[in-house]
Amino acid sequence: MLFYSFFKTLVGQAVTVELKNDLSVTGTLVSVDQFLNIKLDNIRVDNESENPHMMSVKNCFIRGSVVRYVHLPPAAIDTALLQDAARREIQPSTAAVRGA
Amino acid sequence: MSTAASPAAPAATTNPPVQSSVEEPLDLVRLSLDENIYVKLRGDRELRGKLHAFDQHLNMVLGDVEENVTHVDLNPETQEEIVRTTSRKVDMLFVRGDGVILVSPPAKAV
Amino acid sequence: MSALEEFVNKQVLVITTEGRVILGNLKGFDQTTNVVLTDSSERIFSEDEGVESIALGLYFIRGDSIATVGLVDPEKDASIQLAAIHAKPIPEIVH
Repeated sequence: MLFYSFFKTLVGQAVTVELKNDLSVTGTLVSVDQFLNIKLDNIRVDNESENPHMMSVKNCFIRGSVVRYVHLPPAAIDTALLQDAARREIQPSTAAVRGA
Repeated sequence: MSTAASPAAPAATTNPPVQSSVEEPLDLVRLSLDENIYVKLRGDRELRGKLHAFDQHLNMVLGDVEENVTHVDLNPETQEEIVRTTSRKVDMLFVRGDGVILVSPPAKAV
Repeated sequence: MSALEEFVNKQVLVITTEGRVILGNLKGFDQTTNVVLTDSSERIFSEDEGVESIALGLYFIRGDSIATVGLVDPEKDASIQLAAIHAKPIPEIVH
């Protein structure tokens, strides 16, 4: 749930989603779901002259499973907060396992 | 630095602080938060960067990332393998965990 | 909640994990991104020839084999001279 919540805080930001077919799609993050499926608005495919396949698409749903990276705007991210959230996220599950 | 057991802590003989103990693989990754790490990915990709977040799938957010990709092309005439590496820098990167092969803590992330 | 809801009964462009480009009217979808398209057609891109369109009709695409689903801007799409576009096919998704 950590990254689902994290991406929800980035709605409205410009991100570049790099897919496992080497396409990169830049756009405004509109929504994200529990599978980390991503929806972008006002998209632009990098190197459009070589990749005209989505020319008529402005608004796009990207399946989470095909994402390799998401390039994020550093200014929109509080890294200290993120690290704290990551420590909290991982603690309960491991504690539960140890207690078993 | 911040992840090492605090020397100021009382002699931790029976109850070592949970925070710094390594009992399962992901603990090693947790101890690398806020440190530079090395990540090997599928598709001959390698990342070096500061770990800001991760989860049980090894989804991660890395900062000040350098990515190296190794391409192996075959020369059609000589059948020679031509290996080249491309490198790029990314300020802040979310990495999907399904591509992660290994994560190495700071010591090896030179 | 579900991101594909607002694409229903609209023209969409699906890119599959094999790199196929399929257009159609989105009739339905589910949690796993399985989709049903009506009046669908495939656009085949090549470097040597213009884009070729092949009618497929009613089509079901399994979610696992979907990379993206894009909402088509009908005006923009109508303005594209498909015969003049030469481009490599989209590579397949490599997990």
